Amino acid sequence: MGFFDSLGMKVIFSSDTSEEQYRTYGKGRITMDSCFPVKALAGHIGELLHKDIDILFVPMIYSLPSFLRGHVMDTLCCTRVMMAPENIKAGFLKERDEFKERGIKYVSPFVPFGEPELLPKYLFESLKPAVEDLTYEEVVEAVREGFASLEEFDKSMREKSLEILRWCVKNNRPALLVLARPYHMDPGIGHEIDAELQLYGYPVLWYNYLPIDKWLLDWLGISLDISDVWTSSYSSNTNEIIWGAKFASRFPWITGVIRLSSYECGMDQPTFTPVQRIVESSGTLFFKFGELDETKPAGSVKIRVETIVYYLEKYSQDIIKKKLSRLREVPKELTL
Amino acid sequence: MILGIDVGSTTCKYVLVDDRGNILDKAYERHNTKTAEKVYEFLKKLEENFGFKPGRDRVYFTGSGATLIAPLVGGKFVQEVVAVSIAVEKLHPDVRFVSEIGGEDMKAIFFKEVDGKRVKQVFMQNACAGGTGTFIEKTARKLGIPQEKLGSMGYKGYNLHKVSAKCGIFAEADVNTLQKAGVPPEEIMASLFDAVVYQNLSQLAKGNTPMWKVLLLGGPNLFFRGLREAWRVHLQRIWKEKGLRDCTDQEMEELVVVPENSLYYASLGCVFYAMEEEGGVYEGLDRLRWWIEEGQYQEKLKEGKRGLVSSEEELREFLKEYEGQYKKIVPKKVKRIAIGCDFGSTTAKAVCVSEEGEPVFSCYQISKGNPIEDAKSIFRQIREFFGDDVEVIGLGLTGYGKDLLKDVLGADCAVVETVAHATGAMHFFKDADCICDVGGVDVKILILRNGSVVDFRLNSQCSSGNGAFLQGVAERFNIPLEDIAKLAFSAKAIPNFTMGCGVFLQSDIVNQQRKGWKAEEILAGLCAVLPLNVWIYAGNINNLAQVGKKFVLQGGTHKNLAVVKAQRDFIKSKVPDAQVFVHPYPGEAGALGVALLALETKGKSRFRGFDAVENLTYRATTSQETVCKWCPMNCQRTFIDVFVGEGEGRPWSKVPLERGWLRLIVGNACPKGLVEDESELKLLQQELRRVQDEFPNIAQIVRKTAFKPKRANQKVH
Repeated sequence: MGFFDSLGMKVIFSSDTSEEQYRTYGKGRITMDSCFPVKALAGHIGELLHKDIDILFVPMIYSLPSFLRGHVMDTLCCTRVMMAPENIKAGFLKERDEFKERGIKYVSPFVPFGEPELLPKYLFESLKPAVEDLTYEEVVEAVREGFASLEEFDKSMREKSLEILRWCVKNNRPALLVLARPYHMDPGIGHEIDAELQLYGYPVLWYNYLPIDKWLLDWLGISLDISDVWTSSYSSNTNEIIWGAKFASRFPWITGVIRLSSYECGMDQPTFTPVQRIVESSGTLFFKFGELDETKPAGSVKIRVETIVYYLEKYSQDIIKKKLSRLREVPKELTL
Repeated sequence: MILGIDVGSTTCKYVLVDDRGNILDKAYERHNTKTAEKVYEFLKKLEENFGFKPGRDRVYFTGSGATLIAPLVGGKFVQEVVAVSIAVEKLHPDVRFVSEIGGEDMKAIFFKEVDGKRVKQVFMQNACAGGTGTFIEKTARKLGIPQEKLGSMGYKGYNLHKVSAKCGIFAEADVNTLQKAGVPPEEIMASLFDAVVYQNLSQLAKGNTPMWKVLLLGGPNLFFRGLREAWRVHLQRIWKEKGLRDCTDQEMEELVVVPENSLYYASLGCVFYAMEEEGGVYEGLDRLRWWIEEGQYQEKLKEGKRGLVSSEEELREFLKEYEGQYKKIVPKKVKRIAIGCDFGSTTAKAVCVSEEGEPVFSCYQISKGNPIEDAKSIFRQIREFFGDDVEVIGLGLTGYGKDLLKDVLGADCAVVETVAHATGAMHFFKDADCICDVGGVDVKILILRNGSVVDFRLNSQCSSGNGAFLQGVAERFNIPLEDIAKLAFSAKAIPNFTMGCGVFLQSDIVNQQRKGWKAEEILAGLCAVLPLNVWIYAGNINNLAQVGKKFVLQGGTHKNLAVVKAQRDFIKSKVPDAQVFVHPYPGEAGALGVALLALETKGKSRFRGFDAVENLTYRATTSQETVCKWCPMNCQRTFIDVFVGEGEGRPWSKVPLERGWLRLIVGNACPKGLVEDESELKLLQQELRRVQDEFPNIAQIVRKTAFKPKRANQKVH
């Protein structure tokens, strides 16, 4: 948002993913078989085509910024997600150019967040044909503002997470951690499984916004490095999932981990066993919702959630005690 | 002369042409799985009536059943998609999309111009009954629609309802619900046609848009008027939505056609193929006759595999190890009991345990659709056996009806089925890794680690793999349930069944029977294929070793030792050092588990008492007001209101409920229907927001803040 705010562009976002959106705007646009998170993009593009917009901005995000340090090979995105803007676009050009027909310019820049110095160039080159009077300097400034607002956002979310953890410590209540991909926060892709668990009185944290304050990590005995458990650290999200697993296995009041994964996710496949082992090594409960797809399997989610809640209730207090016994005294920053 | 024969999954077709390509004769007949016999009959007739002559005339085959038969008469085989494409290209150069729906398969062929060349793309489905002819006919039979009428039933102008075309058995469930709700058969069939076309377009088109001109081939497309109408309506809409072409109904009739000879395109394709080359000279009927009379039975033995046990010795050892694992609940009168009830969708079961956790009584009631009546019956049986002065120290519930009945009966715990079954198993096998529960209508696979169910697979939708199927087949053969195992063990060789959809398994059985397999051999074959259906098809577990080493088999179906043997052999073949146990009370594991959990609850039981249950007053309302409006299915629900002396009531409801009463909602097809209407949803959402504020979720906070602009917009660009 910071980027477009700086350029003075008004942004309209597509709505949350939903089956209806996909059916209405996206069905039949898919040119290759893929996971639902990629296919869902067709619904978003189709929906925005019906809005009063000049530019349809669908970035091909190649790499992401990362907070991890140490031995991190790379911070790449899933190649399928990265290529989705091109693949899905084809579905709107097949019979005729639907963008042209509606007078909308399709802007799909290559965005390597991992190499921020390249961003102004790529963004400028792809936006220029759509915005005639755009200058390179404006884009440089906008990128700077974009990064600043991203940083601010991440920071405030990590603070929120810390607040929740403090509440857990104070009330001696268990919390859940979700290990997933960022798109699972979208109710149409993650199917709000985390929210169903939340209704049973469990605050929910997400792996990508955990607090990373030094005093906390020191107490837990972990660093921002994952090379001890994961050496092929190329994928940004995978790296953070692995790190989240380390955090969860040590933090006493996280008594359960929920793993979400979409159907046919090749990125998740190799991580299933290591993540499960890391989490369970400390007695923390681990539950997986794999093969999520376009429809929410309401009945089976309900049974699964009830099962999980039963064991969380039964074992949480024991797990907290057991994990606490392995750590030094709770730091004062946590009991504020 | 050239003869093209198409041996399909349900019918045989042929076309006979002279050397100039004029059609001399054609036929389309059902073969009732006797494919070789039907081909023999055809050829015999053609020899007699048209002088079709060995050594001179040629014969080409196509279709799923042709590979076996073709070489027996010297015929050549042409793959069916190739055959259909050749015929289409030759007869309709302007066609760009072909849909062929057969008895058990469906195909979509796209023809496109790429760089001046005509290329084709073919998509096929033949592993599942969804969307095929068998599926339509099966449903029509169920609705009692005669064959003659089915053909003329329409699509246009009817109200459509949601029918899943994905699986023949899912669809059956949808049709049942619609039927129960009083939807007229015409609307149900129209919905079914809609579903079939939708299935074809969504599953087979893979993102391609079918373009005109469209050719509809195969029996169902020709015979069912409604199906043709559905195609036209769908394609008209697609073309219009995509801005390709706005067609009138009249134009649609011309662009989407069922051509003359539409049943014979594969056969015609064979003939055209033959015209381009030599070979396939007819050799006469001798070898085919031999095959029908002897060959296929010899083949039977070659094809089959060894029985469930290879020697008496092996059977003795197996029985020695497993027969003793079963126990019977011997009714025993004790003073204090804990009760566990499993309210399933078809049966309600109860197990009573003593203070020490020993099962002392069990009973059941086939569900009458009213959980209060089911509960009354169960508690009457318990009271009758133990007498009035028995003290109930705990009551636990599980199953579909657990939440509805918890407050009505005064239960101490209501747990989900997975937990109930796991507790029931872990009472006897503390360190079990996996529990496989195969009941009458459902399959459950529970994976345990550290004493918790961490993963599970449930399947109550697809009939393949469940016990009812086996039971149904045994009944057809007039074999009593308790004899299945003994008979199955007596089979020396058994037919090979393919894992998968129950609908196809049924036709497979007929097929194997025809080959001469006997009832006991077929039953043994079904027992042998059951583990594959349970673990791989229904459970989707391909790596059994990852699950663990200690397996517990429970659920009513595992009372059958032949199934246990097949399961054990299957598990051991995947995990050689596995330990496989049968639960001592396979049919009661769930109810037992929940009885044990009730025993664990501290303090005095909340159970209202036998008198209170017996005297429960309730009123049931089934009316326009109780119809579920959440989706177009419009289930006719029943509200059962019970007086228990506590509870807020529902003054806002369309069927108001006074204070002190509780409402149970039954007759809903999905969990959504448990919420009465908008007003209740509103109340629930208020509660939801309150809980969400109290226990925050980072994802919700991210969603709320991430998309907000940082500052007021000054328009620059």
